Amino acid sequence: MSTRGRPRGLARETGASLSWLEEVVRTARIVICCGSGGVGKTSTAAAVALRAAERGRRTCVLTIDPARRLAQALGLDLLSNTPKPVTGKGLRADGPGSLDAMMLDMRRTFDEVIERYARDSEQAERILANRFYQRVSSTLAGTQEYMAMEKLYELHESHRYDLLVVDTPPTRSALDFLDAPDNLNELLDARAFRLLIAPAQRIGRGYLRGLNLATTAMTRMVRRLTGSDLLAEVGEFFAAFEGMYDGFRDRAQRVYDLMKHPSTAFVVVATPDEAALREAAFFARRLAEDRMPLGALVVNRVHRAGLVPAVPAGVHERLGAGDADARLLADLLEQHEALEALAEAEQRRIGELLASVPSLAAVQVPLMAEEVHSVAGLRRLGAHLFAAVPA
Amino acid sequence: MARMSIDTLADARLLVVTGKGGTGKTTVAAALAMAAADRGRRVLVVEVEGRQGLAGLFGRRSLSYQETRVASRVHGLAVDPEESLREYLGRFGAAPLARLLTWARLTRFITAAAPGLGDVLLVGKVWEAATRVRDGRPAYDLVVLDAPPTGRVVPFLRAPETVAELARVGPIRHQADRVKGLLDDPARTRVVLTCLPEELPVTETLESLALLRAAGLPLGPVVVNQVVADRLGGRARRLAALTRDAAPLAAAAERAGAKLDGAALAVLLGEARDRQRRVATQRRLIGELQAGAAGLPVVELPLLSDGAAGPEAVRLLAGMLRAAEPGSARERARAGA
Repeated sequence: MSTRGRPRGLARETGASLSWLEEVVRTARIVICCGSGGVGKTSTAAAVALRAAERGRRTCVLTIDPARRLAQALGLDLLSNTPKPVTGKGLRADGPGSLDAMMLDMRRTFDEVIERYARDSEQAERILANRFYQRVSSTLAGTQEYMAMEKLYELHESHRYDLLVVDTPPTRSALDFLDAPDNLNELLDARAFRLLIAPAQRIGRGYLRGLNLATTAMTRMVRRLTGSDLLAEVGEFFAAFEGMYDGFRDRAQRVYDLMKHPSTAFVVVATPDEAALREAAFFARRLAEDRMPLGALVVNRVHRAGLVPAVPAGVHERLGAGDADARLLADLLEQHEALEALAEAEQRRIGELLASVPSLAAVQVPLMAEEVHSVAGLRRLGAHLFAAVPA
Repeated sequence: MARMSIDTLADARLLVVTGKGGTGKTTVAAALAMAAADRGRRVLVVEVEGRQGLAGLFGRRSLSYQETRVASRVHGLAVDPEESLREYLGRFGAAPLARLLTWARLTRFITAAAPGLGDVLLVGKVWEAATRVRDGRPAYDLVVLDAPPTGRVVPFLRAPETVAELARVGPIRHQADRVKGLLDDPARTRVVLTCLPEELPVTETLESLALLRAAGLPLGPVVVNQVVADRLGGRARRLAALTRDAAPLAAAAERAGAKLDGAALAVLLGEARDRQRRVATQRRLIGELQAGAAGLPVVELPLLSDGAAGPEAVRLLAGMLRAAEPGSARERARAGA
C-alpha cells in the first residue's frame, strides 16, 4: 500500500495516519469514481460507500452502468430508480449510518425530469407523446450522463444523504458526464439550430432571412432523404421544450459547480494493464485541466511477488536435470521470476502515470483470490483501500 | 485450445468484436485483423468510439478518418460521426447541405443532439467499407470492427433499424435494410465476444450471448483472454506435501547450489498455491462459459508476461488465433502434401 500526495480541498485535520480515501469517506459529500471498463470501478465505489455507512454516514451509491454490476457486487438482484437500502449479509444496521443503492433507469429518470420541470401537465404530455422523444430518450448516447447528473443533483438537493458515491460508465462516457453541463449549454446556445428547426414565424427579419432560406433547403433535403417529416418531429420536440431551457441550463451549471466544489472528490480507478492506465492518465489530466477536485488513483489487481534471493547462473540447468523435486523447484523459480517481472513492469507503468499527473495520490490493491460480490468481499477490498499510511 | 468454428478468419467479411469493458476487446480486434492479414487477406480494422485504442496496438499515436496502412495488408480507420455525416450527405448529392452545416458548425451539434443518428452513421460507414468494390473486386476482404462494449452493442448495431422506423421510405430506409442484410448474414458476418476467465465477465458474456442471439445476429467464437497456463498440473499432491514439509525441496536446492532458505521456499510454494487456485477457478469458469455458449467455439489466449499492449503483443496473439483456426490445419496439410 502506498499513498502519495494530498487531495486538494478536503479537510486535513484528520492526521497523517489516515489514508486519503479515509479522509474522503469522513468528509466528502460526493465521490465520483471513473475509469475504463472492467477495472473494478463499481466494487471500489461500493466499498467506499460501505465504509462511509459504517463510519456513521448516511450514504447512497448510484450506478449508471447498465450492466448491473453493482447489483451483483452488493448481492442484490434488482436495483430501481429510487435508492433502496442495501441489506447484504453482515451489514450493520444499528449505527447512525446507512447504505442505500440505486441503478439509473434512464427512461424513467428522463420522464420524471420532464414531469417535474414542465410548465404544466399539458407541456409534459406534449413532450412525452412526441415520437422523436419516445425513440431517443432511451437510446440516445449521452442521455445517460445527463440523466445521471440530474439524479445526482436531485439526491444532493434532497439532503437525505451525507455522502453520494457515483459509479460512472467507462471513461469515454464518464467524460461526457463531466461535459454534460457544457454540452447542454452549447446545445441551448445553438440559437442557429433553434432557428433551423423553429416554425417560420419565429424567424426574425433582416440578416436572418438568409438563414431562413437555408432552413427551408435543409428541411426539403431531409424530407427527401427520410421520406418523412423527421425534422418536423425533431422541431416539435424542441419547440415543446420551450420555456424549460433556462431551468435545464441553470441546473446543469449548478451540477457543474457541485462537481468542482471542494467537498467533491474524483477517484480514478484503473488496473496495472497498459490500456487501463493510459485511460486513467487521460482522465486524470482532463480532470486536472478542468480544475476538478481530483485526488486519488486506485489501482486494482496489482501483482505482488514475494522476496526470494536471486539464484546463481547454472542453478536452473542443474535443477532441470535433477530429480522430480528439483524440476518442480525449477518450475517454481521460473514462475516466481515471471511474476516478479510482471510486478516490476506494473510498478514502472504506475510510476510513469503518477509522474505525469502531479498531486495524484495512489492506492494499490493487490490481486485478490476471490472477486468481490458480497458485503464481506467489499469489506476485504476496503481493508486494502483504507489501510493506514505508515507514518 | 478450442478450435474456431468455420473459417472465421478465412471466410468472414465482417467481424464485430465486442465484450465487457476491460476484457481485451480492442486487442482481440487488432489481433484478428493481423491474423487474417497473415493469411493473405486485405483487412480494414475500424474503431468507432473515438478512444484511439487501436492506434497504440499498431505502434501509432492515432488513427484518423483516412484509411491508413498500419501493418502489412492491414489498414486502420477511426470513424467519426461528423465526418460520416459529411460523407453521407455527399453521397446522396447533398454536398451543399454538408458545406452549409460545416459552415454553421452544426454537424457536431446534429450528431450530438441525436446520437442515435451518430450510431447510424458509424454503422453505415462500416457497412460501406465492408461492401466497397474497387476495380471489380471487394476493396477489403475483411472488415474488423472494434465495436462498443456488450452493454451497448445491440442498440448500436440496430441503430439503422431504429431510425429507419422513423423513415418509412427513401434512401435511409433502403440503406438500413442493406445494413441489416449484411449484419444478419451468417455467411458474411460474425459477432466475436471477448471475455476474461472471471466471475462477472463470464456472467455478462452469457447474458450478452442471449441478447445477441435474440437480436438475430450471427455469433462467432468467444475469445477468453488472460488465461493462466497450468504449468504445475498433475503435481498438486506433491506441492501440498512439500508445503507441509519443504525439506526435500531444500535438499534439491542445496544440491543445485541455490541458497534458498525456508522463508524463500515458503514464498515459492505460496505463489504456486495462489497460481494453482487461480488456474482451478479459471478452468471452472471456462467450463461454465463453454456449457453456456452452446456449441460456439471458445478460444483461449494466455495472460501475456508483462501486461503490455503494443504491436509485439498483437503479433503474438495473432499467431495464436491463427493456430486456433481449423483452416490453419488444412493449410499445414496442404503445405505438407
